Amino acid sequence: MTTYTICIFTENTIGLLNRITIIFTRRRINIESLTVSETERKGVSRFTIVIKHESREEVEKLVRQIRKIVEVLAVFGYLNEEIVYNEIALFKVSTPLGSKPLDVETINQQYKAWVVYWGLDYVVIEKTGNDTEIFEFFGYIKQYDILEFVRSGRVAVGKTEKGLVEYLPESEWAYYL
Amino acid sequence: MEAIASIAPEVIETTPSVSNTVPKLISGSEALMMGLVAEGVDTIFGYPGGAIMPVYDALYDYQDRINHILVRHEQGAGHAAQGYARMQSRAGVCLVTSGPGATNLVTAIADAQIDSTPMVCIVGQVAKRLLGTDAFQEADVMGVTMPITKWNYQITNADEVPEILSKAFYIAQSGRPGPVLIDMTKSAQLELMTKPFVYERCQSIISYRPRRIPKQEQVEVAARLINNAKRPYVLVGHGVQIAKAEDELRLFVEKTGIPVATTLLGQSTISTDHPLYVGWLGMHGNYGPNVMTDQADVIIAIGMRFDDRVTGDASKYIKQAKVVHIEIDPSEIDKIIRADAPVVGDAKEALKALTALVEPNDHTIWRNEFRKYDTIEYEQITLPELTSTEGKIRMAEVIDMLSKKTNGEAVLVTDVGQHQMMASRYYQFRRPNSLVTSGGMGTMGFALPAAFGAQVGAPDRQIVAIIGDGCFQMTLQELGTIVQNKQPVKAIILNNNFLGMVRQWQQLFHERRYSFVELQNPDFITIARGFGMDGQTCDKRESLSDALDTMLNHDGPFLLEVIVEKEENVFPMVPAGTSVAQIRLK
Ligand SMILES: Cc1ncc(C[n+]2csc(CCOP(=O)(O)OP(=O)(O)O)c2C)c(N)n1
Repeated sequence: MTTYTICIFTENTIGLLNRITIIFTRRRINIESLTVSETERKGVSRFTIVIKHESREEVEKLVRQIRKIVEVLAVFGYLNEEIVYNEIALFKVSTPLGSKPLDVETINQQYKAWVVYWGLDYVVIEKTGNDTEIFEFFGYIKQYDILEFVRSGRVAVGKTEKGLVEYLPESEWAYYL
Repeated sequence: MEAIASIAPEVIETTPSVSNTVPKLISGSEALMMGLVAEGVDTIFGYPGGAIMPVYDALYDYQDRINHILVRHEQGAGHAAQGYARMQSRAGVCLVTSGPGATNLVTAIADAQIDSTPMVCIVGQVAKRLLGTDAFQEADVMGVTMPITKWNYQITNADEVPEILSKAFYIAQSGRPGPVLIDMTKSAQLELMTKPFVYERCQSIISYRPRRIPKQEQVEVAARLINNAKRPYVLVGHGVQIAKAEDELRLFVEKTGIPVATTLLGQSTISTDHPLYVGWLGMHGNYGPNVMTDQADVIIAIGMRFDDRVTGDASKYIKQAKVVHIEIDPSEIDKIIRADAPVVGDAKEALKALTALVEPNDHTIWRNEFRKYDTIEYEQITLPELTSTEGKIRMAEVIDMLSKKTNGEAVLVTDVGQHQMMASRYYQFRRPNSLVTSGGMGTMGFALPAAFGAQVGAPDRQIVAIIGDGCFQMTLQELGTIVQNKQPVKAIILNNNFLGMVRQWQQLFHERRYSFVELQNPDFITIARGFGMDGQTCDKRESLSDALDTMLNHDGPFLLEVIVEKEENVFPMVPAGTSVAQIRLK
């Protein structure tokens, strides 16, 4: 199984998420993570969808099917090495009185994670990174009592020089093909 | 954007020159009417109901410009619009109410989507404040139709009407055509627009840019492959007729001398008596065209999508051949069969460009190879079917005789089943755009309403519907629509008292276990008479010719029921999931 990151630029209209996910559902492709936000261009949204698949060919077909949706401006499929990507995770860790104190220095320096909130008997630690880094940190921090753990979907930008959004409806750009 | 204000004279009142008149603000419903007129819509197939009543009210004032046809079931509206669209080569329009009205239309929408038929469906919806409350006759039509429309949109305020309507027509009719749906809340139908009505016909959408003119590099690669081919073979799909590229196709094959086969929906693209035409492809297609796909070294697929009914087991399909794939929809390229030379563009443009680059060639020897299979098929299947003297009338005889009596110039609208395949096999199409059938979806009940719509769309053509006894009972209420609208549709029921095609499969693949396929049929002619339509039954070979004459010469609609052989099978046949080379003759 190879991980693919699909970036979809769309007009920002109601119901589009549904239209896009139907295409994955119909092909029985599971969505590992999904992030949507507006881009630097007004009215243009960017979906970042991570999937795992054995066949690159199938992923290419999927990309073309997504491209077919009328409101979709552009779709790009990437392998991990073609993008810079990250996720963000929050760990809510129990720190009752008398328990083992957190080693904040290790957390900061070794894991590049930060305590972003101090509650009465817990702290919230934020860790950004790819899934491996996040799970490494998970491995470390689980010696404390983890009350909640949440991970965002992936965000990614391509490694090409130009921002991919530059490839939007310019006259040259017609098809992924 | 091309402004066409002139079509809506009301707009003139709002121009500054008539300075002291207050702009007349119109309702969403009236805006819809004005937009439809601006799009040149002259016919709507529909059925009213609570959530679309304001539109129907506005329609009352537009009866002189828009002919609304009241069908008997919304599925009928959809299929009629499809028949109309096929004949007119532009979008058929349906108008239905919310909830059940919309869900009844769903089958036709899905059918139009898979067969690339342009259609604009306008559907009523509950008032905006009621959306999402499970209100009376509320259905999530947007959600339901999202996977089966090319595009859909919910209008919740009147001001959106002109822009959305023009987008809808543009999307339905451009690129690879398809159905679009506008879900319009009752509040948007009733409320007044806050700005003057201006209608601009949509010419482009930033995120949707179908490529009509193919890239020259792609055409060159394709031409090189074709010029070097020893055994090239053209497979034609529906896309060629959609692009109205019949002449371009003919010129291309005549210049290159390449044999042509068509898919089911591609039939009639080229006259069946054209010397380069070798027959049709697919599960029940002709013997030669199927077998020979395995011999070709270059396959030129034009406006077709390698449906599994054509390829059989795709993993064994045309492995030996290089593939040129001409398609307007780039997502079809490499979807089923990998293309060595994709050409993305409109079939008409692509064929023009390609014809300029290909060289004349003599493929006579290769072409003659098809003929030996033709002979086998003719001797083993066609001849016995056409000349049998025993038993009941065979479907083949009816179609063959019809073909002769109409000179191959009628438009056949077929339903789904054995009769559909027999109609395709035995009708000798002479004119383009002469077969309207539900190919991709295989929707029983398609033919009667689609034939009606086709007749409305092509008043000058002879329309003959070929319908099975099972299919007929799915939409027979549209007889009422035909009679009320005085359309001279001719319909032939090939009655074998069975759901024949299913029975055939049960015979061949389920050890003759005929599980729920026998029908107790009503008296179809009495039913037709009840609707006010003339008709007659024929069950003797000797009277078939007269019966067909009576039907064809009848002034007005006519239903001819022909009692045919009960347990007849359609051959050749490529059993599902096998390779096309394993096509069976019996
Ligand atoms: C709506 C729908 N339901 C079921 C089917 C499956 N089906 C395909 S052909 C067929 C039999 C059609 O029978 P009939 O209309 O009598 O035609 P015949 O095959 O006998 O010519 C059936 C049930 C279908 N295609 N469409």
